[in-house]
Amino acid sequence: MKHPQNLGPPRWATRLLTGWGHPDTQEEVQGDLLELYTHWVETVGERKARWRYVLSVLKLLRPLAKQTKYQYPTPERPGEEPRTTFFSSPDMLRNYLKIAWRNLVLHKAFTAINVIGLAVGLATCLLIVLFVLHELSYDRYHANADRLYRMTIHGQVGGKEINTAEVSVPAGPALIQDYSGVEAFTRLRQDGTFIVKHDHESFKEEHVVFADSNVFNIFSIPLLKGRGAGTNPKTVLTEPNTVVITETIARKYFGEQDPIGQTLTLGTAGLFRVTGVCQDVPSNTHFHYDIFGSIRSIQLRNTWLSSSCFTYVLLRPGYSINNLQAKMPELVKKYIGSEIQELFGISLAEFTRKGDVFGFHFQPVTSIHLHSDLEGEIEPNSDIKYVYIFSIIAVFILLVACINFMNLSTAGSAGRAKEVGIRKVLGSVRQQLVGQFLSESILVTFIALLVALGIVVAVLPSFNQLAGKQFGISAFTSGWMLPGILLTCLLIGLLAGSYPAFFLSAFKPVSVLKGSVRAGFRSGWLRNTLVTTQFVVSIGMIIGTLVVYQQLHFIQNKKVGFDKDQVLVLHDTYALGPKANAFRAELTKLSQVQAVTQAGYLPAGASNSGNDGFQSENGSSPTTTYREKTYYIDENYLPTLGISLAQGRNFSKAFPSDSSAVLINEAAAKRFGWKNPVGQRLSTLGNGSPESRHVYTVIGVVKDFHFESMHQRIAPLVMVYGADNYQMALRIRTTDIPGLLKTLEQRWKAQTDNPFAYSFLNERFNTVYQSEQRVGQLFGIFAGLTVLISCLGLFGLAMFTAQQRTKEIGVRKVLGASVASVVALLSKDFLKLVVIAIVIASPLAWYAMNRWLQDFAYKIDLSWWVFALAGFLAIGIALVTVSFQSIKAALTNPVKSLRSE
Amino acid sequence: MKRAFLGEFEEVVLLTVAILDEGAYGVSITQEIEQKTGRAVGFSTVHTTLQRLEEKGFLSSRMGGATAERGGRRKRFFNVTAAGRKALQEVKQVRIDLWNALPPQTLQLMGG
Repeated sequence: MKHPQNLGPPRWATRLLTGWGHPDTQEEVQGDLLELYTHWVETVGERKARWRYVLSVLKLLRPLAKQTKYQYPTPERPGEEPRTTFFSSPDMLRNYLKIAWRNLVLHKAFTAINVIGLAVGLATCLLIVLFVLHELSYDRYHANADRLYRMTIHGQVGGKEINTAEVSVPAGPALIQDYSGVEAFTRLRQDGTFIVKHDHESFKEEHVVFADSNVFNIFSIPLLKGRGAGTNPKTVLTEPNTVVITETIARKYFGEQDPIGQTLTLGTAGLFRVTGVCQDVPSNTHFHYDIFGSIRSIQLRNTWLSSSCFTYVLLRPGYSINNLQAKMPELVKKYIGSEIQELFGISLAEFTRKGDVFGFHFQPVTSIHLHSDLEGEIEPNSDIKYVYIFSIIAVFILLVACINFMNLSTAGSAGRAKEVGIRKVLGSVRQQLVGQFLSESILVTFIALLVALGIVVAVLPSFNQLAGKQFGISAFTSGWMLPGILLTCLLIGLLAGSYPAFFLSAFKPVSVLKGSVRAGFRSGWLRNTLVTTQFVVSIGMIIGTLVVYQQLHFIQNKKVGFDKDQVLVLHDTYALGPKANAFRAELTKLSQVQAVTQAGYLPAGASNSGNDGFQSENGSSPTTTYREKTYYIDENYLPTLGISLAQGRNFSKAFPSDSSAVLINEAAAKRFGWKNPVGQRLSTLGNGSPESRHVYTVIGVVKDFHFESMHQRIAPLVMVYGADNYQMALRIRTTDIPGLLKTLEQRWKAQTDNPFAYSFLNERFNTVYQSEQRVGQLFGIFAGLTVLISCLGLFGLAMFTAQQRTKEIGVRKVLGASVASVVALLSKDFLKLVVIAIVIASPLAWYAMNRWLQDFAYKIDLSWWVFALAGFLAIGIALVTVSFQSIKAALTNPVKSLRSE
Repeated sequence: MKRAFLGEFEEVVLLTVAILDEGAYGVSITQEIEQKTGRAVGFSTVHTTLQRLEEKGFLSSRMGGATAERGGRRKRFFNVTAAGRKALQEVKQVRIDLWNALPPQTLQLMGG
């Protein structure tokens, strides 16, 4: 306490007291506290003194206290004018809220429409914001996210583009060896699914990866237990046959036991020792592995011209990725030239002259989730497009809700004009009136916010299911979410209240009170514009929904070239090992089963995938190498899946020479330029070594079938004779599917203790389009909500117009107008707006949906009837909404409406 | 019968004001109570109590002259009103009556 004078009591506290303390005792309280503060500094020290001072101030705040006695100026005490009520003084604020509340209660119907509309809008907006923020947060939590990149291959071989997320095994080590700007690299190697065993329990694990030992340094996934946890995660995966597992997996296999040092059997890869437990991989990561094995546990093909490892590169701070990118051609020349020579028999220069390309590229790890769509992605990624679409929808819905709010307030202003006049006459200044209207709209916004939060809590579980996320209520209270929400609401309240506030407060009291201003309805153009905007948005959304559903329907019912119904897929039949063949024979004998095939390669859902380079032995351009997809199938494959042959014959056991025979699809025949493919010969490149080269004879051509998603055109496919027993496909013929499944399970259990798992081909096919389906559903829901909110607004407006024109309608009826003509009179104005909205919305929606459809290789044409239907729907809905009010008004007995004057 | 009720803390404050006579204002009252009763009292509590007592009419107050200390802010001095004195008397009388009503053996037991 060297300078007790230097630090006075906290100034902010004093200011707080001046502003919000009890006005009557301001002076002496401040004085007393100052005196006490000096006393405290002397007795208990400065820090405690400040603390006590602040505490006393806080306890002495009387934010709502009013000055009770006005002290008239005396000779000793001049100055101090009587206080005037500024528009932001506590007194006035209290008054605003009171009047606002009374107004809201008085116009219950309008209030309800406002609150419901706004609440639904806010709730939707909140959910979308949650979704979008989560999408944008992917992989941003890694400590070095800004320096972390994933290496990719982009190239072109034989006219086919190669864009893979996985790169060559030696690429990582070469980078760190040759370029000083690279600080570290880590590789992830996927080796399919594993049946994981511990004691007698076994489960199928799909998220298994083998990783370099520094994986937990590169990605910020904390290690909870294990050697060197916290300090040096580098040591957990150094030895072969060691694994790190997530908390969830640890609990699943070991319960409460300490998993460190325990062992797990990973399929055929052997026995692994657990050396660490890490936290579950956060949901906003582009991978979600549960089991990390050391990369030394598995065999890696150390060649450059194959892609098998996800490789992540950490740059040194300050080193630009462009520098590294610029050096890649050099790297390709240095390491890959020789391999190209060996594999294709041509030099790198020749290779590039032919138009073929092979290059490494880098993508920031933070952009993988939203921007990357390469071959062999770890998980299907999302798309930035959907982030944009949903953000726009959120803004639209909020806009529509705000418009409602503004419309109803301005419409209601006519009734408030007299009130404003009287207030002005009694001495209100404009500021106070503005304050009053603004506080009214802010009050409504916050009531709506409360309702919206209630709605969100109620629908969160279903939303999670729909969006494929796991949000909790806590998502709203974390970080800037809550202040953000409050601030946004305040802004909405100010924005929505601003028009009526400034418009109404500008009334001249004389003219208003004389009744010469028919206030409110003069501002028709603004309201009309707003209503039109609402309907443009609504109609646009209706069209969007219709198109999305049409396209989905088209995809799901398009002839895919194989018969996807009544096909059952048994998973993981490789677990049967050598017993697989006998098991297949056993299943074939079942009466409900028509055919069984070993189907490691399937056109939908989990499947092996293979590529190989092919050269036509006697085609048009003998040296061109095509990299094509390959399937390994047996003779039962085509009949089981219902794929038909265009030419030639299927594989058959009767021809021993079929081991060097292939089937190709029509697209492949076209690619190789064969008019008569049967009998043509193809040679493969394999991995470059002579023993992996084969020459095959084409024995048949299958009709094109969709073996990839409909986003792509049907690619060439080569089918080689040779079974892959990863899965089995059964063509079944029964109505008693549960019974069949029971039988199958019994047979399965008799063979192995591995879990029995199955799926239906058509379901797998549909899940390929899950993201489109999700978009379709969300679009539908959002469109529905937008229409609902717009209609609420329209309903309010119609109600209002009807009220306004009660007398007019009364007079018209007395003079002989029919009910129909009155209804037409009232509805006509609104319908005009809807029609204008249709005209504006149709081209916009056409453009947007055309863009969306560009993503599909097979798509519907946008037909005019979609627009017509959307238009009719909009008109119909608007008519129903408005006519409820107009019919009510038209049916009113004119005696009632006219008798008041 | 309606009589202004005097809470325990109110009584202490009222008495202290009476003790301090002319020099009773916020700070001196707070410090006096802390000294005499040995309990930690918050200034805000005392202040609020003083306000309440004034509202009830047991205290009257006037502003003192400006002083150089405490940033030139004036003190509000408190005086016990006639009603306040009466209330204190009543409280005291009630206590005395109650003590007198105590049976002698109990009094002995309590060490009195």
